[in-house]
Amino acid sequence: MNAPGRSYWRSLEELAETPEFAALVEREVPRFRDVLAGVDRRRFLQLMAASMALGGLGSGLSACGPEPNPRQLLPYVEQPLGIIPGRSRYYATATTLDGYATGVLVASQMGRPVKIEGNPDHPASLGAASAIMQATILGLYDPRRAQSIVGHGQIDSWDGFVTALFERRDRLMAHHGEGLRLLTGTVTSPSLTAQIAALNKDFPGMQWHQWEPLHRDEERAAAKEAFGRPLDSVYDIGSADVIFAVESDLISAVPGWLAYARHFAARRRPAETGGRMSRVYAIESTPTLIGAKADHRLALRPAELAAAMRYLAAALGAGPQQWSQAQVKDADWLKAAAQDLKQHHGRALVHAGREQPAEIHLLAHAINGALGSFGATIRLIEPVAASPGSQQQSLHQLAADMMAGKVDTLLMLETNPLYTAPADVDFAAALKKVPLSADLALYADETTLASTWHIPAAHEYEAWSDARAFDGTITIQQPQLRRLYGGHSAQELLAVLLGNTMPVDYALLRAFWQSAAKQQGHADFEQFWHESVRIGVVANSAAAPVTATPTADLAAHLPAAAAEAKGLDLIFRPDEAAWDGRFADNPWLLEMPRAFTRLTWDNAALIAPSTAKRLGLATEDVVAIAAGDRQLRAPIFVLPGQAPDCVTLPLGFGRRAGGLGVGVGFDAYALRVVASPWLVAAKSLTKTGDTLRLATVQQHDRIAGRDLVHEGTLADFVKNPHFLKHEGNNESIYPAYKYPGNAWAMAVDLNSCIGCQACVVACQAENNVPVVGKDQVLAGREMHWLRIDRYYSGAADEPSVAFEPVPCMHCENAPCEVVCPVHATVHDHEGLNLMVYNRCVGTRFCSNNCPYKVRRFNFFAYAIEDDRPAESWNPEVTVRGRGVMEKCTYCIQRIRTTQIDALRENRPIRDGEIVTACQQSCPTQAIIFGDRNDPKSAVARRKASPLDYVLLEELNTRPRTSYSALIRNRNPLIKDDEA
Amino acid sequence: MTIADLPDAAPVVRPGVTLTSLSEEVSARVLRPHAPRWWWVGFGISLALLLVLVVAMAWLFINGIGVWGVNIPVAWGLAIAEYVWWIALASGGTIVSALFYLTRSPWRSATNRIAESMMLSAAACAGLMPIMHLGRPGFFYWLFPYSTVMGVWPQVRSPLWWDFICLLCYILMSIMFYYVGLLPDLATVRDLAQTRRKQILYGILALGWRGSARHWRNHQTVYFIMCAIMAPMVISVHSVVGLDFAGGLTPGWHSTQFPPYFFFGAVISGLALVIMLTILVRRGYGFQDIITEYHFNALAKVMLVGSLMLGYSYLWEAWGAVYGSSVADRSEFFFRIFGFYAPSYWAKIALNILIPQLLWLPAVRRSEIGLFLISVGIIVGMWLERFVIVIPSLSHNSIPSYWGVYYPTLWDWATLAGTIGLFLTLFFVFLRLFPIVSIAEVRELVQKRGSR
Repeated sequence: MNAPGRSYWRSLEELAETPEFAALVEREVPRFRDVLAGVDRRRFLQLMAASMALGGLGSGLSACGPEPNPRQLLPYVEQPLGIIPGRSRYYATATTLDGYATGVLVASQMGRPVKIEGNPDHPASLGAASAIMQATILGLYDPRRAQSIVGHGQIDSWDGFVTALFERRDRLMAHHGEGLRLLTGTVTSPSLTAQIAALNKDFPGMQWHQWEPLHRDEERAAAKEAFGRPLDSVYDIGSADVIFAVESDLISAVPGWLAYARHFAARRRPAETGGRMSRVYAIESTPTLIGAKADHRLALRPAELAAAMRYLAAALGAGPQQWSQAQVKDADWLKAAAQDLKQHHGRALVHAGREQPAEIHLLAHAINGALGSFGATIRLIEPVAASPGSQQQSLHQLAADMMAGKVDTLLMLETNPLYTAPADVDFAAALKKVPLSADLALYADETTLASTWHIPAAHEYEAWSDARAFDGTITIQQPQLRRLYGGHSAQELLAVLLGNTMPVDYALLRAFWQSAAKQQGHADFEQFWHESVRIGVVANSAAAPVTATPTADLAAHLPAAAAEAKGLDLIFRPDEAAWDGRFADNPWLLEMPRAFTRLTWDNAALIAPSTAKRLGLATEDVVAIAAGDRQLRAPIFVLPGQAPDCVTLPLGFGRRAGGLGVGVGFDAYALRVVASPWLVAAKSLTKTGDTLRLATVQQHDRIAGRDLVHEGTLADFVKNPHFLKHEGNNESIYPAYKYPGNAWAMAVDLNSCIGCQACVVACQAENNVPVVGKDQVLAGREMHWLRIDRYYSGAADEPSVAFEPVPCMHCENAPCEVVCPVHATVHDHEGLNLMVYNRCVGTRFCSNNCPYKVRRFNFFAYAIEDDRPAESWNPEVTVRGRGVMEKCTYCIQRIRTTQIDALRENRPIRDGEIVTACQQSCPTQAIIFGDRNDPKSAVARRKASPLDYVLLEELNTRPRTSYSALIRNRNPLIKDDEA
Repeated sequence: MTIADLPDAAPVVRPGVTLTSLSEEVSARVLRPHAPRWWWVGFGISLALLLVLVVAMAWLFINGIGVWGVNIPVAWGLAIAEYVWWIALASGGTIVSALFYLTRSPWRSATNRIAESMMLSAAACAGLMPIMHLGRPGFFYWLFPYSTVMGVWPQVRSPLWWDFICLLCYILMSIMFYYVGLLPDLATVRDLAQTRRKQILYGILALGWRGSARHWRNHQTVYFIMCAIMAPMVISVHSVVGLDFAGGLTPGWHSTQFPPYFFFGAVISGLALVIMLTILVRRGYGFQDIITEYHFNALAKVMLVGSLMLGYSYLWEAWGAVYGSSVADRSEFFFRIFGFYAPSYWAKIALNILIPQLLWLPAVRRSEIGLFLISVGIIVGMWLERFVIVIPSLSHNSIPSYWGVYYPTLWDWATLAGTIGLFLTLFFVFLRLFPIVSIAEVRELVQKRGSR
């Protein structure tokens, strides 16, 4: 970054004792003066770079920041212990989303974090890492992050802020904290919760508000109604034979979804389970990943969903029988589903998504109760989040108090209410009435700019903290490198208010855990700490199950009649990548094609084909949508599978301040209201006559008769497992090469793939795939080496969806190789189709000749134009220049690393030892890589499955990447929606 | 209409032309100190267009291939379509000049120099396109068969490499062929030159040609052998260009008919350009006596045959796609004729096949305006044909998720305009520096007529 040169030291002792270092500490972290003054080197090491003790020397100090004296160079005489150039070291920590933690391992190269992997020991990850998790590494390095403390519009210092807050603290003390408010997101951190409790003790008049725009208020309210107190549900999908999903985010967004997706997929591979498979029913207004995997799916408007759930409850004896008399569309379908659920008592599961009203959640609880799911497929635990209440009301209350002048000090910790607040909460006006408002935020965002103080936040990978996962498991988060842009953690900020003028995250966290460990009965704290930090999981910290039964008197809690469906519904959903807007600055996520729309760089109002036809709308038409007295303009995207007469508005776009995402897309929060956060009735939707070009990476939705997606039903499979096999014609006039050693190959299971795009971003992170921007995506030049094609079959309004990840096929008869005039793409002895960037002159004939279109070309110098710091690239992979072709390499750098290890240890490569980046991140284990020549390898076994096939077999390219056919477990009683 | 009115009955050389008048007439165009006004106007416009090429190339090389509209899946765009177009135009020149020398067609004598000048000018444009289109144009020489320090040779299985070798040989051969044919005329110009500088210039270029019987005999032998080489070569060069496509796995390309199909295209488009230029040169230089309706009639007939052959290829292409078992081929063909690029398909059918059928009418074959318009139509039509071959196939490939369209950008069009500028500039230079009608060969015709 700003250091012109790097100097090296020979030992930590030497480093810590140099006068230059003392000067550095003086300049960079003045509060450490006192620490150093004690010349307690041991203590210094603990405090400043505790990751050293845990094997993180490089991540602590060596990589970043200005050096004391750039002219003084010391030779690299001895290699520091544990640092091997070209080798990644992994440090466990966690990344949080909406407060809930998922364990990760951060790959560090020479002290620089370069890649995020899932932590196999963490229950929310099981080794998988979502697209959002992968992309956090880019957020860490984002040069657009806020870098200076701003107080009253002037650049200020941390000391200045501490002084200001301290003055205020005395006044607050005098008033017992009256007027002090704290606004956070959902908090699961035990240490932060303890701090807030301590604050409450010091300032009894303080109020703590929580606001997550993607809150789970409805779910919580329903749980409170059903069980008498708020409880969280943890699902055991692996033991569910029948799943009924009500616009469920079970395998796409709920905390812990990666783990759920893994267990879900394990039940969807009939070739591996002897023809047994779970059955999934989905009813939903807007397509979800689980809906795409469902064996039967209905697209229903929100009001119809409620009616259907009432009908289902009645059919299962969980609700009043008169509900079944109501006019319900698709009653036969629901009856068949109900029968199926009933037959699987104790092995069934009903799940409703976060956005469903409390009524539907309550019905789901009732049905689950009737089906005996509690204790079987659902485990109830005490809430993981601290003080779960209605966040809608909490924010509303806060804004009202601010307007009324009851708030004189407002601390906002990593939340952005100015952007995310419902439209009828005028947070901007309210904030103007607060004399001291401090916002801790990663970016100078909307709220920051309106606050009196802005404190740049330390990134999650820069500070010590802790957080809990969906099942209560605690992770102690350790920093991965020194804070790049200064920054402070939430704990540090609150510590000031608690009277600590020199708070250090590490000391705070250790102090908290020292007492917590003692309470939990850990005798040896150092060992507890060491193990917890090293593994990334505090052992046995998952919440214990509680027993509770849902209320029997369901009807008493629900309105008598279901709501009528009329007009146009507007429904708000998080964007898969931008989420609630917090990732709107992340280029990987912005350019990540969304699973269904395949849209990048924009959000769009999603609308069903039949509705679009009726209203005379087409994709890219800009419409004005009005609800209440508010209005917004949005481009239309016609989405097959969307319920008729309902328009989905993805949140998270249209940012007005922050980083890269400013001005991208439209801001759907503009129509959201407190009373009804996920659904409003549209007053009007009118065509403006304007159009906006939308950068979608897939323009054609159907396989058009090609041999691309093999699909069948479980019944046929059980009858004859080979029912999809047909005789291939693999003749060649040349004798086939034998591949005597390893023969690398990949198998992709279409049953398992849920279309979550984790592999796409993992590949991008691993292989230094550049971001190209909206105009280049529009020009057809996106660079992703791996893409997930989405094909529809059946009717446009009720299509069947197939997700198909397409990496390079590594064809044995590779059409690309013979047409390259300069031998830039060649075959190796293990069957890899290699790309020699240096040799490429850029004829692009290989791409023309690739039937799978997996080759990507650097039409411009994309990698150079990508504004990410040099240290964030993966040093193991060449960054490609302008004018050369590139493509999936099966992560050859990982293959070679393992081969070298095996060679050095004089042993064969073990199956599963080489894991490609896509395979590693995949939550459902849809991708398997390995040696095809080893009949016992996982990949060989999956390829031996009768469902195995290759794409475009008639071209005789003999791909090494093969696919397992998509099997649907259809209910024989439901005939109408056969694709 | 009397027999004499028919173009077939028109003389190859008008009766007024004598040996002396011919030499002086043709040489005068080269030797006169001031070029005519139309030459300057034409040359000025050509230079302006050439400047467009210079700017377009500079922009391309500075910014990268991304300034064009190419993408994935359509990784080849106008540059390749135009490469094929230019090489076909060049081939047409060779066909007139070499193939019809072997058949001893008398009408070839007055038009072969025009055809050859056109061939060289077009070949220069054709040679430029593949280099410009490379992602890293600085390394185009890696296609040469030499072993680098890494010991890597070119991939001999790649049609692109065959194409590179063919094109290289063809351009070198064409230059020699042109020069050998020009030798006696250079001597004539030298002998008639009035100024010292011109005498020296043409003297050096004439390589000491004295017109002795021995010179003539050797010249005739060499020229005949060169024709015998050039005639199959021009068929091969365009067939190999066809193999660039046929060798690919892309639907719409992977077809055995491509080599002859491309040759037919070369015949018709090359003839069209020869006719256009002949009409212009005849008018500009007032060569009505030595370029007559006889020539146009003959050229037009060859063009008509070319059009019919091409029509046959179009039919075959459609038949293969519809009758064949490949879903991708059929779907690609329907995309060609009904899809996004359908207008260019139907325009090429009209311009290359339907309108040229007017050439069945003798009156059209005799009419300079009619011929000129039909020829322009064919040249545009052939450009569209190349476009239709290259782009829709890539656009509508084997994998529907990656179907995509290609829009040429301003820089694509600038490159087209620029290469037209390069072609015209070179042609105007040939027009000014060298006799545009083969004096020696027309003298032979005059001589024969005299002795008849």
